[in-house]
Amino acid sequence: MAAPTRDQVLSLLAAANNHGDLAVKTSSLKQAKDLLLSIDPSLAADLFPYLIELQSSPESLVRKLLIQIIEEIGFKAVEHSPTMISLLLTFLRDGDAIVVKQSIVSGTNIFCSVFEELIVQFQQYGKVERWLEDIWMWMLRFKDAVFGIAVEPASVGIKLLALKFLETFVLLFSSDIGDTEKLATKGIRQAVNVEWLVGGHPHPVLDPVVLISDANRTIGILLNLLLSVGSLPGCLTITVVNCLAAIARKRPQHYDTILSALLDFDPDFQRVKGCHVTSIQYSFRTAFLGFLRCTYSPILESRERLIRSLRAMNAGDAADQVIRQVDKMIKNGDRSTRDARVSKDDQPSTQSPVSGELSRKRPVPLDNEQLANGHDTISKRIRSGSDSHSTLPAQINDSRQDLSSVNGVSANVPVLDSELTAVEQMIAVIGALLAEGERGAESLEILISKIHPDLLADIVITNMKHLPKTPPPLARIANLPVTRQLSSQVSQSQVIAASVPINSVQSLSGTAQASFPSPTPTVTVTVTTSLPSDTSNFSNQPADSKRDPRRDPRRLDPRRVVVTPGGATVSIADDTGATKEFDEPVSSIKPVSLPVMTADDNTLSDLTVKIKNDDIISEGSPVSGPDQVTPKTEVLEMPGDIHQITEADTSLDPSLSSTDLRDEDLSKAKLSEDTETIGTDSSIFEIDQSSIDVQVESTLEDTCLELPQLPPYIELSEEQGSKVKNMAVRRIIDSYKHLHGTDCQQFCMPLLARLVAQIDDNDEFITMLQKHILEDHWRKGHELVLHVLYHLHSLMILDSVGNASSSAVLYEKFLLGLAKTLLDSFPASDKSFSRLLGEVPLLPESSLKILNDLCYSDVIGHDGKIIRDIERVTQGLGAIWSLILGRPQNRQACLGIALKCAVHPQDEIRAKAIRLVTNKLFQLSYISGDVEKFATKMLLSAVDHEVSDTGLLQSGHTEQIAEAEVESHEISCTSQVSESTISENDTAIFAKPSIQSVPSILFSEAQRLISLFFALCTKKPSLLQIVFNVYGQAPKIVKQAFHRHVPVVVRALGQSYSELLHIISDPPQGSENLLTLVLQILTQDTTPSSDLISTVKHLYETKFRDVTILVPLLSSLSKQEVLPIFPRLVDLPLEKFQRALAHILQGSAHTGPALTPVEVLVAIHGIVPEKDGLALKKITDACSACFEQRTVFTQQVLAKALNQMVDQTPLPLLFMRTVIQAIDAFPAMVDFVMEILSKLVSRQVWRMPKLWVGFLKCVYQTQPRSFHVLLQLPPQQLESALNRHANLRGPLASYASQPTVKSSLSRSTLAVLGLANETHEQHLSSSLHSSDTSSSVHGATLT
Amino acid sequence: MKFRYAMVCSSNQNRSMEAHFLLKRQGFDVSSYGTGAHVKLPGPSLREPNVYDFGTPYKHMIEDLRRKDPDLYKRNGIFPMLKRNSTVKLAPQRWQENAADGSFDVVVTFEEKVFDMVIEDLHNRDHALLKTVLVINLEVKDNHDEAAVGARLTLDLCREIEAAESWEESIDEIIAGFENKHRRKLLYSISFY
Repeated sequence: MAAPTRDQVLSLLAAANNHGDLAVKTSSLKQAKDLLLSIDPSLAADLFPYLIELQSSPESLVRKLLIQIIEEIGFKAVEHSPTMISLLLTFLRDGDAIVVKQSIVSGTNIFCSVFEELIVQFQQYGKVERWLEDIWMWMLRFKDAVFGIAVEPASVGIKLLALKFLETFVLLFSSDIGDTEKLATKGIRQAVNVEWLVGGHPHPVLDPVVLISDANRTIGILLNLLLSVGSLPGCLTITVVNCLAAIARKRPQHYDTILSALLDFDPDFQRVKGCHVTSIQYSFRTAFLGFLRCTYSPILESRERLIRSLRAMNAGDAADQVIRQVDKMIKNGDRSTRDARVSKDDQPSTQSPVSGELSRKRPVPLDNEQLANGHDTISKRIRSGSDSHSTLPAQINDSRQDLSSVNGVSANVPVLDSELTAVEQMIAVIGALLAEGERGAESLEILISKIHPDLLADIVITNMKHLPKTPPPLARIANLPVTRQLSSQVSQSQVIAASVPINSVQSLSGTAQASFPSPTPTVTVTVTTSLPSDTSNFSNQPADSKRDPRRDPRRLDPRRVVVTPGGATVSIADDTGATKEFDEPVSSIKPVSLPVMTADDNTLSDLTVKIKNDDIISEGSPVSGPDQVTPKTEVLEMPGDIHQITEADTSLDPSLSSTDLRDEDLSKAKLSEDTETIGTDSSIFEIDQSSIDVQVESTLEDTCLELPQLPPYIELSEEQGSKVKNMAVRRIIDSYKHLHGTDCQQFCMPLLARLVAQIDDNDEFITMLQKHILEDHWRKGHELVLHVLYHLHSLMILDSVGNASSSAVLYEKFLLGLAKTLLDSFPASDKSFSRLLGEVPLLPESSLKILNDLCYSDVIGHDGKIIRDIERVTQGLGAIWSLILGRPQNRQACLGIALKCAVHPQDEIRAKAIRLVTNKLFQLSYISGDVEKFATKMLLSAVDHEVSDTGLLQSGHTEQIAEAEVESHEISCTSQVSESTISENDTAIFAKPSIQSVPSILFSEAQRLISLFFALCTKKPSLLQIVFNVYGQAPKIVKQAFHRHVPVVVRALGQSYSELLHIISDPPQGSENLLTLVLQILTQDTTPSSDLISTVKHLYETKFRDVTILVPLLSSLSKQEVLPIFPRLVDLPLEKFQRALAHILQGSAHTGPALTPVEVLVAIHGIVPEKDGLALKKITDACSACFEQRTVFTQQVLAKALNQMVDQTPLPLLFMRTVIQAIDAFPAMVDFVMEILSKLVSRQVWRMPKLWVGFLKCVYQTQPRSFHVLLQLPPQQLESALNRHANLRGPLASYASQPTVKSSLSRSTLAVLGLANETHEQHLSSSLHSSDTSSSVHGATLT
Repeated sequence: MKFRYAMVCSSNQNRSMEAHFLLKRQGFDVSSYGTGAHVKLPGPSLREPNVYDFGTPYKHMIEDLRRKDPDLYKRNGIFPMLKRNSTVKLAPQRWQENAADGSFDVVVTFEEKVFDMVIEDLHNRDHALLKTVLVINLEVKDNHDEAAVGARLTLDLCREIEAAESWEESIDEIIAGFENKHRRKLLYSISFY
């Protein structure tokens, strides 16, 4: 199919190029264009060279069509676009105007399309493709060429299009800040402008600033053309004006510039020749009217100027019409506003490519971060590498320690066998290199670097095989330090070997040592991987189950050894070496003896013998054979053994010196290297000297004994071992401090934990570690401590009985030391102590003792007083609280400590402990019972102690009494001041001297014992029943203590508690005082509830006939309720009556007082002693009590009361007494009293003998005001009154002699007074001389 | 002819159709349009014009007016005008809605107001073709006699434009010559399609 189409196009192009008829040419070319547009672009591209040949066609129409074809298919073949577009430049210089015009038209379209494509690519991808940049470069040249046409002489038709291109260019490169509504209605090409580039990163090709600058310069070109109107044809001038007007309307930022130019245009048209002036002028008019139609704010501001110009042009009518149209448009602003909003919504969509571009740029910084992270990772790896180097010296000591552990763990023998294979190969190669002497040193170093990774891989694989149940991730993490450890050991061993290349025997010894530690890390890995899972006590159970299967292999291994005769021999030998110190040098000789035998042979034969020995070990059963032969050889080679011992001593010196050298700063590395070299040389010299000495000694040894040589070696090795261990530990701790990565921490923590477990009875190490833990941030140190403790705890579980005891001792020692250090180093507010005790795997008894001492133990200061840091006690109690919650195993012990503190002699400590016990511990269901029992026990001990001591009741609590006495004795030693104070308070007590001191001591003791119980009562009100039950039998001091605590409890409970009401309704015998106290408290601050009132009333009416219990409730009782019991209240002791009176008068806020003061007085006088069973004195005392309260019983109150009582029948017995008291209290009441006395006369007071006496007394006291009352009496009563009070006669007679008074008196009354006319004088004289005679006369008259 | 012409008046009934009729007969490629909102024809009085929408066939207008008052519209010349128009094209067309008709090289208007509207409309269009268009205004009163005169003048002007090799180069001379010859004022402007 393609072939015919291609041929067809070629034939058409040939016809267009060669045919003579123009019509045929144009027709063929059009058909070719259609075919090119329809076929595949890649195929069309192949035909472009033939198409380009048409540019030389003589017919202008053909060339014009060619340009149109280029415009239409230009973008389909991007490879050829630059070539085809370059034709546009050629055609711009064509001789035919038609071709040039088409070139400008097509070029303008391509220009806009390319510009749009550039922006789209830049926004979407942040870059522009190469081919598009090339086209753009051609288009810029095209732009320059068209600009040239616009300003240079050319055809007018062509220039018109050039000017239009200038306008298009300005619109493209100017940001559109105008009306978005118009923008929306236009095509896509018009919408594209330079504004789309603003906000993004500038591109060299699409720099907005540069483009906008070009646009401004283009406007300058148009304005310059306007200035040269005289030389331009009319149509060019009109076109320039129209273009400028279009730019001004569409790009308001250019409006002012263009408007000024148009307004300043010179109207002198005389110079303009050949131009149609009217049309040019009309173009300005059209431009100005167009401006009026715009609604941009800059244009609106210039409306006046526009109108003036238009009127000058005789276009005022048109201007007015346009303004009216614009006003109508403004009135329709709602519609345009809505449309504008819609357009604004479109703008974000057009700008979304920019945001997309920004979002796509974000990954770039992420890449940078990844690179940075990579650098960090690399630096971390470098650090870890350096750390591994820093641990090299420590490995030497680890290997020696592992030797002893390997001997003790027979299960690791198979592991040793598997490891020997790799080590064997290494040894073989190293041996070969050593045979070469110094020449082989360099090769040896190269070999080490090559074998290193292989050996590590083998070691890792071997370790993985022995950890089948360990999760891979944990194993990987845990194995890393082990691998480094092993590699370090191997490297260090090689260093030792290299340092003494001459003496091959020593080097073999070093390699033998290196091979032994390989099994031990396996055990370490096993233990390490189990530690992370031990996060709490509960998780220990699954951990134990996980460890159970591992116990079986350990137990089985000894049995296998026992079954095998050879194995038994090996086991016995190991045990012998471990237990006997003196045999240690002998056992150390064994590994060395074999090389001695082979020293006489060749090097290769040495290795062969080594291999044979390995085979023997791997077989197991044949071991006994060589052992039998070996002792004989040892006996024969005794002198050689001594020689080897000396050499072993010398081999320690180089390692020690190298260890010391490594402690120096890194800045001295070179010097240290030189020193190491010197050290090596010196060691060689030492060896030579030692060999000489040995030769000399061998001569002497023939006559000397062996034993004297052994002790110095043993002591020296121990000292050196201890020293090296400490140095190793210090180095590990120092490196641990500087580590930051998590992997590094996991590497060092297990290492330090293992060191603690393996170093027995090394106080220095533990002290060093504790110091480090405290120096470090506690969070990190806390993790390390837990690592150590959990490791020890796992050893306690896994090891046999013997090892368990040592691990347990070490565990306890480490924990106690650290706990004490935390207490000494940190303030009381620090939580680390409590946290430590809460998170350790096991809490021994000794740690609880620390808590006990912290909370309870007394500290006697220099002044002899108790010194106790309350904050420390708070810290201890806080720890106890968390332990009770978190550690059920230790709950009872901690509770015991807390309860002991709850009865502490010191108030502050006791208060804190009681607060803890009451508010927290007592709320726990599994503890509240114990707490209650303890508190009750303490309460009863307080009660029974005093009872027993006073002898009132025999008690069986002998032990408690003894304890109480001891405690009281202690208190007496420390509370002299309080004792004296108490004794002063108890001066009223008449007791024996021997008993007098005891009660004063026991008050504080009672407080100590009962405080906790009363605190619990607030949480459990039913406990108050016990208080009431024992109150009756409690001693006085204890009761006082009760009275101090009960108010607090009762106020806390309130009166709505049913338990309290129950107790009140049925109080035990002997608890009346306590009951009264409770009732007082309940009614003190609040109104008693109806339940309480009814309960108490019921109690009073049934069981408890003591009115005292009703006193607190009087405020709430009504008048009808108070009056019946009033006599009983009056019968109370005076103080209680006064209190009751206060309640009665107070009343409640709702109902007012039960009785008013007047009613109180009336009620008191209403009591009949005989009927109510009261002594008269009680009533008189009650009256006196009222008179003492003058603020309540005022003059008015008395008046009202007396007024009420004077009308009563019968009159109250104490009426006159009260009247007399009233006069005494308030003398101003005399007039009122006279009225009362007059009423009494009316009521014939003389008929009541007792009242009559009071009446006369009152009259006598109130004379002479009472004379008129006396004169109201009948003559008989008057005579009787005068007989009783004879001294009244004279004054009364004088009073009666007054004319006004005399006239109103009766004759009989006057006769009694002796005031008759004549008889009066005779009587008066006779009375003066003989009073007896007158009285006898009166008596006769009466008779 | 090498140019396309457009005749534009207010209702596309009298002046534009007269010129359209004449130029069409002379062989020009010509179209005609109106710029008003509606088609207005004289009615019984000045206050009662007959109003139709653009696009209403001329024949429908004839029938409608015949039913109303055949004598009046025959007497005032409406019927003959409509008959003539119906022979030229189907119905009146509005200039603002003629985008589908393509571009014109020369647009002749017969009233200044119409000239303004055509210029404004062309300026507000999207100049996608970059094709120049010459707009000329010839002031003609809207009656039958003047329409006939205007049509003849338009024909003469178009012949001048056709005769020029490049109207862009010689438009000023053409306008000046026409005004001197016919004593009629012209206006022209340049716009683009």
